[in-house]
Amino acid sequence: MSLFDKFKPTATMYYALRDEIGRDPFGVSMDEMKGPTRALVDGKEIVLAGTNNYLGLTYEESAVAATIKAVEQSGTGTTGSRFANGTYAAHRQLEIDLAAYLGYKHCIVFSTGYQANLGAISALAQAPDDVILIDADSHACIYDGCQLSGAETIRFRHNDPESLEKRLQRLGENVKGKLVCFEGMYSMFGDTAPVKELVEVAHKYGAYALLDEAHSFGVFGENGRGICEHDEVLDQVDFYTGTFSKSLASIGGFVASNHDELEYLRFSSRPYMFTASPSPANIAAASAALKKISSDQSMRVQLWENAKRVHAAFTQLGFDLCAPCSPVIAVRMKSRDQAFKAWNFLMDNGVYVNLAIPPGTPNATSILRLSVSSAHTTEDLDIVINAYGALAEKLSGELKDD
Amino acid sequence: MSSIQEDDDLVFRKICSLIEPLNDKGVKLTRETDLIADLEIDSVAVLDVVMDIEDNYDISIPVNTISEIKTIGELVDAIHAIKKEQT
Ligand SMILES: Cc1ncc(COP(=O)(O)O)c(C=O)c1O
Repeated sequence: MSLFDKFKPTATMYYALRDEIGRDPFGVSMDEMKGPTRALVDGKEIVLAGTNNYLGLTYEESAVAATIKAVEQSGTGTTGSRFANGTYAAHRQLEIDLAAYLGYKHCIVFSTGYQANLGAISALAQAPDDVILIDADSHACIYDGCQLSGAETIRFRHNDPESLEKRLQRLGENVKGKLVCFEGMYSMFGDTAPVKELVEVAHKYGAYALLDEAHSFGVFGENGRGICEHDEVLDQVDFYTGTFSKSLASIGGFVASNHDELEYLRFSSRPYMFTASPSPANIAAASAALKKISSDQSMRVQLWENAKRVHAAFTQLGFDLCAPCSPVIAVRMKSRDQAFKAWNFLMDNGVYVNLAIPPGTPNATSILRLSVSSAHTTEDLDIVINAYGALAEKLSGELKDD
Repeated sequence: MSSIQEDDDLVFRKICSLIEPLNDKGVKLTRETDLIADLEIDSVAVLDVVMDIEDNYDISIPVNTISEIKTIGELVDAIHAIKKEQT
């Protein structure tokens, strides 16, 4: 018996598929970046259509300039956690700016979005008195936050307020605190949650609502504040979590809230206290990107135009799409085998998308996840749509029975 | 005792009927069958089967409990324990 035996079944399956197509979908190296939507991979220029760069801000001039200045002034790293020596004026300022942008009283910046969820959930809910209820399709960091918390965790059916309500009703009298966690837009299928209904059900049973807008921040709502802005319940969300790694094109995460007690997390949340804070460069880039999206709506408008174009084209091509139009456009494949080959075919045709296979995908489906960016040019999208057009033919021919 | 035995059987049969569609290899289902090792059902799919069981019996089975369950028999026992507690 070795420590490694348990990996064998997955490794065997994965390596066989990888060797069959002659490329590793989970080990692609962008050898040279050519801008927000292009990269050189194995000497060939590829259109990047599997990122989270929704607003295309990775090369935003003001952010690049601010980042260079921050490194020169404040150094390359903070070498400490927020709780110790890792809080600079810029970290504080970004918390104030994020709170102001979203309209919450408080905000805490974490080192990543993963840690923000991990840190909020694990500190807020504790065994044995509290219970956490989570959407069944929640991101790994929500599941991991529950594990770290140790509190009893119950899943409700994806995007189903009724299923949440049933589970809240079943809870015993002894439960003290209840925390309900769900997301705005889901990253794999691009479907969106009934945020208003979920918040209402949570509050009806005296539970707190934690909403992760990782993929919807900057993308949904009149001012880009997420699905809760679109649903007009932003002020009712108890804990709003987000990341800098998608629309803000940096690294870091945050939790915002109107509860004054949010500040308690600063001395009780292990993922806040025991990891180094984001570097000055990360903070400067996120701050500049936040300024940009607060003052300029044009990226979001372009993003949705691009999303509509691709979604309509794929619908016409007859693809089995996972959700109505959003910036994440996922195509359902028949099998893992077919998904690997289709992914490889797109690479051959100059397009990188994300391959997602079970475990870890909802309903054990294999999908090709495409994400649209506002930075995609007409030519980029032509290449994408042409590649998918050729793929559609391939799927009804050669790859039909894979 | 006999009524528990009877009920036990019903829960066992219900679980088998929910798992059967995922039993691609046609393994004979017993109390000792290991969901992941024998049936090669992935851990996420196990959670989805459990969701059906929850709705069927109107109980909530915490993720913490599921992660400790390996065999069909353990799942049956857990459901009995929770049914007693929650109803
Ligand atoms: C829903 C959701 N929450 C949180 C995260 C984590 O964000 P970060 O990359 O900042 O750790 C992600 C991204 O992977 C996500 O999809």
